[in-house]
Amino acid sequence: MSTLTGSRWAGMAEPGRGSRRPPGFAGNVVTVARREARDAVTSRWFVLYTAAFAGLGLAVSFVSAAGSGGTGLSGYGRTTAGLVNLVLLVVPLMALTAGASSVASDRERGMLPYLLAQPVSRGEVLLGKYFGLALALAASMCLGLGVCAAVLAWKGHVTRPASLAWLLGLSTALALGMLSVGMLISVVARRASVAVGTAVFAWLVLVFVSDLGLMAGAITLRLRIEELFMLSLINPLQVFKMWSLYAADASLDVLGPAGLYATEELGRTLHAVFAGCLAAWAVVPMLAAAVVMSRRSPL
Amino acid sequence: MNQRATIAGLALAAAVSGAWGGPEDHAPPAVAPVLRDTFEVGAIGQRIESASEGDVIRLEPGVYRERVRIGKRVTIDGGGRAVIDGGGTGDIVEITAAGAVLRGVTIRNTGTDLDRENAGLRVLAGGVTVEGVVLEDVLFGIDLREAPGCVVRGCRIGGKALDIARRGDGLRLWRSDGALIEGTTIHDGRDAILWYSKGVVIRGNRSDDCRYGFHLMFSDDVLIEGNTLTGNSVGAYLMYSTGVVIRGNRFIRNRGPSGYGIGLKETDRFEVTDNLIVGNRSGVYIDGSPFTGAAPGVFTRNTIAYNDVGVTFLPSAKGNEMTLNNFIGNIEQVSVSGRGGLTANRFWVGEVGNFWSDYTGYDRDGDGVGDFVHESSTFFENLMDRHPRLRLFMFSPAQQAVEFVARAVPAVRPEPKFEDEVPRMRPVAIGLVERAEGSSAWRMAGVSGLMLAGGVLVLAWSMGGAGRPRGGEA
Amino acid sequence: MISIRGVSKSFGRFLAVDGVNLEIPEGESVALWGLNGAGKTTLIRCVLGLVRYRGAITVAGWDARRHGKRARMHVGYVPQELGFYDELGVARAVLFFASLKGVSVRSVDDTLGAVGLEGHGGKRVRELSGGMKQRLALAIAMLGDPPVLVLDEVTASLDACGRREFVALLSGLSGTGRTLLFASHRVEEVRALAGRVVMMERGRAVSEVPAAGFTGAAAVAPGGSVVGAVGAVGAVGGGGSGAVLHLMMPLGVRLHAAAQLRAGGFEATLNGVGLLVPVHRERKAEPFQILAEARIRVEDFEVLPTAGEEAR
Repeated sequence: MSTLTGSRWAGMAEPGRGSRRPPGFAGNVVTVARREARDAVTSRWFVLYTAAFAGLGLAVSFVSAAGSGGTGLSGYGRTTAGLVNLVLLVVPLMALTAGASSVASDRERGMLPYLLAQPVSRGEVLLGKYFGLALALAASMCLGLGVCAAVLAWKGHVTRPASLAWLLGLSTALALGMLSVGMLISVVARRASVAVGTAVFAWLVLVFVSDLGLMAGAITLRLRIEELFMLSLINPLQVFKMWSLYAADASLDVLGPAGLYATEELGRTLHAVFAGCLAAWAVVPMLAAAVVMSRRSPL
Repeated sequence: MNQRATIAGLALAAAVSGAWGGPEDHAPPAVAPVLRDTFEVGAIGQRIESASEGDVIRLEPGVYRERVRIGKRVTIDGGGRAVIDGGGTGDIVEITAAGAVLRGVTIRNTGTDLDRENAGLRVLAGGVTVEGVVLEDVLFGIDLREAPGCVVRGCRIGGKALDIARRGDGLRLWRSDGALIEGTTIHDGRDAILWYSKGVVIRGNRSDDCRYGFHLMFSDDVLIEGNTLTGNSVGAYLMYSTGVVIRGNRFIRNRGPSGYGIGLKETDRFEVTDNLIVGNRSGVYIDGSPFTGAAPGVFTRNTIAYNDVGVTFLPSAKGNEMTLNNFIGNIEQVSVSGRGGLTANRFWVGEVGNFWSDYTGYDRDGDGVGDFVHESSTFFENLMDRHPRLRLFMFSPAQQAVEFVARAVPAVRPEPKFEDEVPRMRPVAIGLVERAEGSSAWRMAGVSGLMLAGGVLVLAWSMGGAGRPRGGEA
Repeated sequence: MISIRGVSKSFGRFLAVDGVNLEIPEGESVALWGLNGAGKTTLIRCVLGLVRYRGAITVAGWDARRHGKRARMHVGYVPQELGFYDELGVARAVLFFASLKGVSVRSVDDTLGAVGLEGHGGKRVRELSGGMKQRLALAIAMLGDPPVLVLDEVTASLDACGRREFVALLSGLSGTGRTLLFASHRVEEVRALAGRVVMMERGRAVSEVPAAGFTGAAAVAPGGSVVGAVGAVGAVGGGGSGAVLHLMMPLGVRLHAAAQLRAGGFEATLNGVGLLVPVHRERKAEPFQILAEARIRVEDFEVLPTAGEEAR
């Protein structure tokens, strides 16, 4: 190996210098998404979260089945309610941290400038990463929940199949929102460790702090029921929870006066309201991330 | 009894004022029934006219567009294929002869006039048997007025597709003692209601998607047995009645705005045994019962499972005894609505307690009874009882965090709501459970297969493809 | 092919690139010469549209900012060090970037073979040595045979042997009608690859010289401005028994270092990135000793043959 001739280069790749059209937006998004998804599904967190999801899901289901003392009533049970609780803890953490580490760690390892030196736009990279991670998250939940459902079916703990499908769909929607927030954190943060730390903090806020604050507010400020309900719509986790319950029962009366208010005032439009809230969480942070990304140096 | 009369009086007053809000306003008609429609005599009417007492009139299959008054003690048998169509106005069939029998006809299409109480079948005489009659698209279904000793058996009563406020009662008994209601299905009606009717037996019926499955007003010594009440606003609502036995029924998913499996309001000398009470908003709701306290309210061998609240006590509920019941996975096993405790009610008697799915103790001596007292004292429940709006935060990790902290910090631990000193380690055997069919396990396996396939598809897509060049070899 | 007009880039108050103008016609090979921090890498990042800048840059007629994607379509880029998805397979990496560039690769092995990486397609990127990684980066840069090649200190992190190999690989690319823009602070590389040298200091393009016989030597006036290029260092070294040490060090210590060396009996000429010191073959190590005693850190060095040595 000493020197190279131009012809050798020209011979190994097509097209030559004549036609030069960059691949389309969608093409590049798919390329980046695919690489990102591959990176994600071969990573430790993917295996870990999938196993955790399946394992904890099974634990929750069996605990609730064991609570029924073998009475055969599990069909009426709240297996999905237990799973909803699990999703509320695990999925946001998974999505937030996955999103947060994506761009930030690329930047930290110096991959980002190299990637952006290729004929791709920043939007393509951001969206590609988002979709790739979203697919990986969806796959993780599919596998985790699928294993869980398979074992439950095998053991005869039957839940309504539709409710499992709803759970999967809504979990994915929640993951899309949380991933979007994670991406925004990732684009803003200077270091990957800071990004992940911020993501965990955001998780704590969404899971515990905001609800506890709202509880305290409900008592001390004597919030009206409709105010309480509207405020709870801000938290995507609450939206996910309410949507899951509503999908299962076509009513939120389980949730007391505020739930009853929502069921009576909004009725079937609740589906649209919840979908809108989660969609906003998926879209708005990503838009913000796109703006930040286009303005910031990738270094 | 004085008090009772006062309440009846109040109810009447409410009816006169025309309010129709809660059960308290559920008023009896202020005047005795008067038949206002004059019936032109049709094909069936002519046959009744020409029949003698005790004759059996067999109807040819077909649709009879007429109003029928059965004024003789005859048996009319439609063989299951005769239809009497009211054309969407007024009442349809009226029985004024004691001991008459109506069998195997379909009655359909009454008017919708709630003031005139348009009914599919009105019975104004005692000892009448109504059997295998189907009522479709009727405002009121079967209306027994001062008709003692009647039998309604194997009927099917379907209401009109109207807003609940504009519906009539599927079945109504007014001062009709000793009736037997059996094997009848009522759906999409308002209530099946008993007014001032003693000694009625309600057995093996179904009620789906009505307001109140069975509603007792001032009706004593009633037996409610082996019925299935599903998807109603309330399963069975007992008011101001004495000596009621509720045994071996299924109350499933009754989740209306009130949403009780069984509601007991100022009811006395009652027994609730061997029922399956599942998935209701509140499994049992007890308000001012037992009314006199002459005898305890008995709750035994019921399975109260997966309701939002297992049993709701109003502060006025005193003197109930719960033993051998299974409390399984209710979001809140027992709730006190409003301020006050449960000290006037007992959750164990002698050596007999209940099964609590949330019992955390163990049974070292193996006698089937937990070694520690089961005491219910969760902080968040306590909080929710005081601030119902906090229910919005149920099923959330924040709720569990609050609970966890409260458990760790004894200072904020609330007083136990109630205690069961002899909690059972295993549930009492449960009958009445409809087992899930095998096919649903297969369907679930199918869903899980789809999910796994979806996951694998993503894995395959991300792992494969791009690793190999399209044309040549890597 | 590349047109840079009045380009400035500042990071906060620090002006990294200051009003640079540079026209590179098709087929020309231009080196950006200067020490770390002179603005070479920043200018390259501007050309690639990686950072926002003032001024105008076009590549093959496309604005690097507004039509960044199209502009980069014409550019193959090799960074100083391949910051890369370490877990990715080598072949997969090639295909990933080919896909981004919209190039279909007929044979990954041929692509890798062109840079001497045949048979390494199955490895992961992290399993490659530094030199191999740079060659992989070159292979990726050459995907689709782009008319412009942009190299940023591509040999900086390689050892002497890897450096020589890589430069040899690159020199095969010159004279094929390809436009080359590269940053370097090594005389050897500039001589091997460039046709023209743009000397950068403190973000400014201070002068341009032809690459033939380039040493970067320049006389620097006390004010710090360059007054003119000095001729071949061979003349300084004198005779055939010597070599020229190219010692690279930060701007602030250069004059002090030159004074120390002169005190030790050596000639020292400033050349934009450091000092050129003609030495006798047997006394090559002495300047290092002098500088070490004066606590002056040498960042990098190369030994340039004198004109006489080269002729041999």
